[in-house]
Amino acid sequence: MTATLVTDPVIDELIGICGTDNVFADRSSRVNRARVPAPFPVHRWAEHVPDVVVLPTTAEQVSEVVKLANRHRIPVVPRAGGTGLTDGAVPLRHGIVVDVKLMNRILEIDLDDRTVTVQPGINMLKLNEELQKHGVIYPDDPASYPCSLVGGRIGTSGWSLIGGRYGHTRDLVISFQIALPTGELIWVGDGGGRKVRKSSTGYQLKHLFMGHQGTLGIVTEAVLELVPRPEAEFAAFFSYPDYETAWRSTGALAKSGLATLAGVVLFDEWKLDYLRRDDEAYIPQSDDVRCVVATAMYGTTDEVRPGARRLLRIGQETGGAYLGDEISQGDWASRHDRYATPLHGRLRDGQVVPMSWHCEDASINWSKLPQMRREWHDIVARLGDRFRIFDDWGMFAYTNGAFKPWGDYLTEIDVGIWEQELDDASWDAWVTAKRDIAAVAIAHGGSISACHGACRAGEVDLVPAELGGGWDVMKKVKRVLDPLNIMNPGKYLLDQAYEGDPA
Amino acid sequence: MSSTERAQGPTGGTDDGPGTAEFVQEWRNAAYNCYSSGHKFCREVCPVMQVTRNEVHTPTAFHANVVAMEQGLLSIEDVARDYVHCTQCGACELRCPNTLYTGDFYRFRTRTVQLVKAVRALAVDQGIHQPGWQRWVEETDRQRSEPVLGEVPVSQEHVADWAAGLNLPVGGETILFCDCEGAFHRTSVPRAAAMLLKAAGVEFGLMREQWCCGGPAAEMGYTDRAREFARHNVDDWRAVGARRIIVFDPHDYITFTEDYPAWFGDDYDFEIVLFVELLAELVRDGRIQLTRPVDRTVTYHDACRLNKRKGVHAAPREILRAVPGLTFKDVDHVTQWSYCSGAGGGLPIERPDLTAEISRRRVERAADLGVDTLVSACVWSERPLTEQGGKRDDPIQVLDLLEIVALSAGLAEEPA
Amino acid sequence: MIGFRLSAQLPPEPRRVNDTVVQRFDHVYEVDPALMREHVQQHDFPAWDTRRIVDSRWEHLAWMHAHWADSVVSGEELMSSGE
Repeated sequence: MTATLVTDPVIDELIGICGTDNVFADRSSRVNRARVPAPFPVHRWAEHVPDVVVLPTTAEQVSEVVKLANRHRIPVVPRAGGTGLTDGAVPLRHGIVVDVKLMNRILEIDLDDRTVTVQPGINMLKLNEELQKHGVIYPDDPASYPCSLVGGRIGTSGWSLIGGRYGHTRDLVISFQIALPTGELIWVGDGGGRKVRKSSTGYQLKHLFMGHQGTLGIVTEAVLELVPRPEAEFAAFFSYPDYETAWRSTGALAKSGLATLAGVVLFDEWKLDYLRRDDEAYIPQSDDVRCVVATAMYGTTDEVRPGARRLLRIGQETGGAYLGDEISQGDWASRHDRYATPLHGRLRDGQVVPMSWHCEDASINWSKLPQMRREWHDIVARLGDRFRIFDDWGMFAYTNGAFKPWGDYLTEIDVGIWEQELDDASWDAWVTAKRDIAAVAIAHGGSISACHGACRAGEVDLVPAELGGGWDVMKKVKRVLDPLNIMNPGKYLLDQAYEGDPA
Repeated sequence: MSSTERAQGPTGGTDDGPGTAEFVQEWRNAAYNCYSSGHKFCREVCPVMQVTRNEVHTPTAFHANVVAMEQGLLSIEDVARDYVHCTQCGACELRCPNTLYTGDFYRFRTRTVQLVKAVRALAVDQGIHQPGWQRWVEETDRQRSEPVLGEVPVSQEHVADWAAGLNLPVGGETILFCDCEGAFHRTSVPRAAAMLLKAAGVEFGLMREQWCCGGPAAEMGYTDRAREFARHNVDDWRAVGARRIIVFDPHDYITFTEDYPAWFGDDYDFEIVLFVELLAELVRDGRIQLTRPVDRTVTYHDACRLNKRKGVHAAPREILRAVPGLTFKDVDHVTQWSYCSGAGGGLPIERPDLTAEISRRRVERAADLGVDTLVSACVWSERPLTEQGGKRDDPIQVLDLLEIVALSAGLAEEPA
Repeated sequence: MIGFRLSAQLPPEPRRVNDTVVQRFDHVYEVDPALMREHVQQHDFPAWDTRRIVDSRWEHLAWMHAHWADSVVSGEELMSSGE
């Protein structure tokens, strides 16, 4: 633990800003805000413990905390749900964690212009419990739907399971207020109007502040899209005897042009083997069920019923066998909160061990999926040959485009890691494997991450390679907006933005 | 400041204290099973977290702390107070994917309630006491009943005052067990229970000497005391030849079906009957006739220990639907996984402010439905809910399910 | 019987479904207990708890459908109706 910059006078100032009940410097408060779900070298937990935690309740308090941090040159790390899978909320240099969970109010529901204005600490499921009373919903649906928070969704530029129909976070957040790294509060959107979806005025700043992983400020308020609550849902799962057929069928389904189609998901053979370990839907399936494709539609009944008929026909004509209502409806409903559970983990002798889930994601075009899949499984297989703590949990490919679910896919390889046994050697091997996985995505013309972000050890090394000249622009932006490197320092290799500075 | 300690570093836990190593060893895999998954679906259903929004009050932190203790990052002194922030409603452990999706498959599920009890017990063993709980358990030990503030002075002498005039026998094969809150505060609930049983022709008696079930002491970490109460009660049951114990309080039901079996093992051969399930059967079979209309618009508050911890949610609704004249605006029991009164787990003793806010929110949800009455099946929930319901400009009355049924069966009169 | 009895909570002996899965109750799969001997030990699991979890799972999934949409269209019904 390095000497702290957060002294008693600083804490007194923080109390002056946030109030006595909302500043925490005790060990428990700090230790419990050092981590997110992604595997973490638990023996190195202490390296990430912040010095103090604040829970502000207003944008002005957030602004004042950031200004204070600039005056004292103390790192600031924003934290919303802490459910992200790329460690955005993990402090690298201790400092002040600004936890926005108390900022969870709904400020306005506008049924005329179809927006809801919220603070960043609200969860989507809880928000929708309120919105559905008005016949509308906010359809941002990650696997962490029941627990992740709007602020984190913006900070990671999240992906939504039903984004093919309704768009992803960047499409669903119309505008937002953000405390810049120097503390000023500004609004960004498409142009200036807070409820305007499309504008050609000025630079499109909304995208700049999407997915910054806490390096460009703290979102303090957001205006979100409202859509009609769906009258009808339809889910269909198809099985296939081999990957090639399933992959071609996925392409055909995604390109169907059906407007209510919310998403298509391809499960590969490794994923099926993994699901057969403990999932009641897959245990009884016959051996010739080698791959599965899941589809879902939402909309009015008048659209969904005929669309569903066509979808069923496409699935069957391209080699799929409908798996029945029970698995289609049951498994689909579980996808809104589908996180892996540790006891999925197996050693090669079959023994059950508690493993953490690591989901390594990428954006990749449909045509490249088969080749990339082989290369990724090979990387994880080599890792498993060396260390028994790694377990290949298979791959998914999800349609990735907003409103037009074809072309590119969010693909992920899920890896179980037995964290209780993790040590420096296996951690280093894992980081190397992550770098190799990212390199494959780039080599096939893809992107390192479709939904989590790319700032964890390993993959982050390849961000400059992926972005090319854009990386230089990114560094310049960071340096201009955050001259003292206050916001989440060390994250995303952005210390490079300050190289050559006289510290 | 909620936490005035300004530690220079995170390196607590160097002095583990007696029992810490054994505790960590026992809970190690369970803790990793949460820590390694890191999904936090517990969070938005947790009644305390919904109010405080503070991560150290989450079931995730309750598990991660065990890992941190193993790593030497935290000690029991650092975290003991955090574990006060739990009503033991069970929402977190049911909503956890490690329970909901795979608990039955692996016969291994998330057990946050047990973990919280274990940490509280470890703290007590190391001499770390929460003052309110310590006094509460000492008073319970002195009077054999919990020191609930109520209509009747708490003492062994008055433990059966609620039954005055009902001419209930002592002993027999079937015993009606009355919890402390019912015995000394909301006496209308045990009276309704007794009258309904009599009306249905169910033979039953009271204990010779009823002590607190011991559950609250166990929840607060005073396990040895809890077991003394339990031993007394079981001995009393055996002495009168009891084979069947009827309970109307969900907390007692948990204690008798989870704690007592763990403490007494296979020798524990009593049948424990939950009143509300028996009542549903008696109404269904026509042994209790609900003839008098009850002109109220009600919603039902799912008692956490029934709904979340035992999966009991159908019987109370079946009964309410059988009450003539009642307009029943139901909220489904899954939505109510995230509802609570805040009355459990000792929270009202140590954090009455949180209990009040949790109850206020629960009553507000009822008010949104346009009801005049909130019906509960947990006598402990009824005190804070009643307080909050009464504070409203448009008051909401809180009635126990048994009170409503007694009205409809013509066994009681409408409260003033 | 509506009451709880400890002696009634003991689950039936498992029968084998495949190399790694067994079954004690109808429609409820369980891991082969032999796979949970070395690193993670199974809990003492009363029968009521298994039933509670299985029921809660299906109730939760039904809740999730209702949370997202007013109705669920059945593929089986569409295929048989020839609509």
